[in-house]
Amino acid sequence: MLDVVRSELTRSRRRGVLGAWLGLTALFAAMIVAVIFQLAGDAAAMPAAGPGVTFPTRETLESASGLMAPLASASSMFGIVTLSFWAVLTATDHSTGLVRLLVAAEPRRWRLIAGKVGALVVWTAVATTVAVLVDLVVAPMLGATSDLDLGAWGTDVGAVVASAWLNLFLALLVWGVIGLVLAVVTRSAAVAVSVGAGWVLVVEQVLTAAFDGLRDWLPGATIGAVASGGNDVISYGSALALAAGYVIVCLTVAVVVFTRRDITD
Amino acid sequence: MGAVTTESLTRRFGDVLALDAVSVDVPAGGVVGLVGPNGSGKSTMIRMLLGLIRPTSGTARVLGEPIDGDRAYLSRVGALVESPAFVPGLSARANLLSLAQLRGLPVARVDAVLDTVGLTGRDREPVKRFSLGMKQRLGIAAALLPDPELLVLDEPTNGLDPSGIVEIRTLLGALAREGRTVVVSSHLLAEIEAVCDHLVVIRFGELVYSGPVAALLERTLGHVEVQPEHPADLQALLAALTRAGHDVEPTAEGVRVRGAGGRAAAINRDAAAAGITLAELRTVRESLEQVFLDLTGRDEAAAAQARRGGGAA
Repeated sequence: MLDVVRSELTRSRRRGVLGAWLGLTALFAAMIVAVIFQLAGDAAAMPAAGPGVTFPTRETLESASGLMAPLASASSMFGIVTLSFWAVLTATDHSTGLVRLLVAAEPRRWRLIAGKVGALVVWTAVATTVAVLVDLVVAPMLGATSDLDLGAWGTDVGAVVASAWLNLFLALLVWGVIGLVLAVVTRSAAVAVSVGAGWVLVVEQVLTAAFDGLRDWLPGATIGAVASGGNDVISYGSALALAAGYVIVCLTVAVVVFTRRDITD
Repeated sequence: MGAVTTESLTRRFGDVLALDAVSVDVPAGGVVGLVGPNGSGKSTMIRMLLGLIRPTSGTARVLGEPIDGDRAYLSRVGALVESPAFVPGLSARANLLSLAQLRGLPVARVDAVLDTVGLTGRDREPVKRFSLGMKQRLGIAAALLPDPELLVLDEPTNGLDPSGIVEIRTLLGALAREGRTVVVSSHLLAEIEAVCDHLVVIRFGELVYSGPVAALLERTLGHVEVQPEHPADLQALLAALTRAGHDVEPTAEGVRVRGAGGRAAAINRDAAAAGITLAELRTVRESLEQVFLDLTGRDEAAAAQARRGGGAA
């Protein structure tokens, strides 16, 4: 199995793709931290939420976990980036015809999916680390220029950072797996990204606005709760269980579709 | 044990019959040409043998193993299916390395196959900078990675210039001499006939011929071109050969005796018996390509209609 993961890691080590993935993650992390701390001093200007973003309260930002709060707030934005790159790195196997070589070399197709997931988990960990590092650099600089009381930030920094990293990483994994299954089913990165982004930015927003009961189990809300370590709507435990369910369903669909489908690309 | 055996192998895509009950027994060793016009079902057959698509009906065995099992035989098979497919932004070496890792092969195999196809020295370049010929060679290198007993190359000369085609032909011959079975598909028999020992000819999904190249060549009777020493003897020669039972027709300078590839001596005797001296007696054999065209040539529209109607006949 390790051979399959190593093979996928070698194949996914494309400067352009990885550079774009990590670069966008860093850019979005810097942007969201800057926006949140810019607005933090003016409670009236701080919106409750935006497309793919929920804005933390002043109290949250001044708490011990306030240092990392912007990352959890923008987890859906990072999620769309992650979903996109998982989809791109999966769909291009089909669009280039590479899938023919892969399946002829490894007839146990489920192992190809497992190898792909293994490699993308590694790159997702790297992307999560980039986001956390950017936050660690930018947040204290901008926090110091605001009128926030940051006295609590020095409390248990290691645990706060580790917890934020883990929660964001788990959240991004779920987004990534959704991107993978969309790419396997549609064999198109463009369609997979459109469906994923459209869901987060439009469909789920409309559904939760129309039907209040959906708020505590739809993917976007669930993954957001994982990223923030639980929230008022979904507890951390429930969010993790639901997220695990989404991952299992997505991976099952991906494996079943990929193993049963004719390779005609 | 044959390298590839199929029994009534059939594949239908919707209402199109891509392969119609093809039964062949391809012997192990040597170069096997899988030939037929574009769209004849060659790639469909190759994809089924490699487990990329499933047959609608029928069975096949590759290196003695059934294609509907766990396909463990694929560890002994190398394949290039249609156009070479690689990650364009990665180097040739990285592309091959990822495939070697997938098969659990040592890095040394990457160096070995790069050397075999003559890409050593260019292996650090991104594949997107490669010419079509270089990509084809890289595709063959990828197929050679597992040091396969059976090498399946689908149209490996596609897009190559004449020197590239000769290069590939030479490589195929060399690989077969190492004891491998090389199955190479092409829509142009002329490109591969020189290296083939065995031919499988498919036309619009149907098997037209499967057997040694030599047996197919025996079908080529050809004709004999005859020219009398004196042009004035031309009519007498025509009459004499007709009387002797030959199928003749006049040409600009002499007589053509049809279907007489092995009867030059008899023609010479019949002319001499009529008192005619021949200035030229030349056997012209039909080329293998012409035989191939005779075997595979058919009205495309009628064929398409037949295939959609539920039969390729």
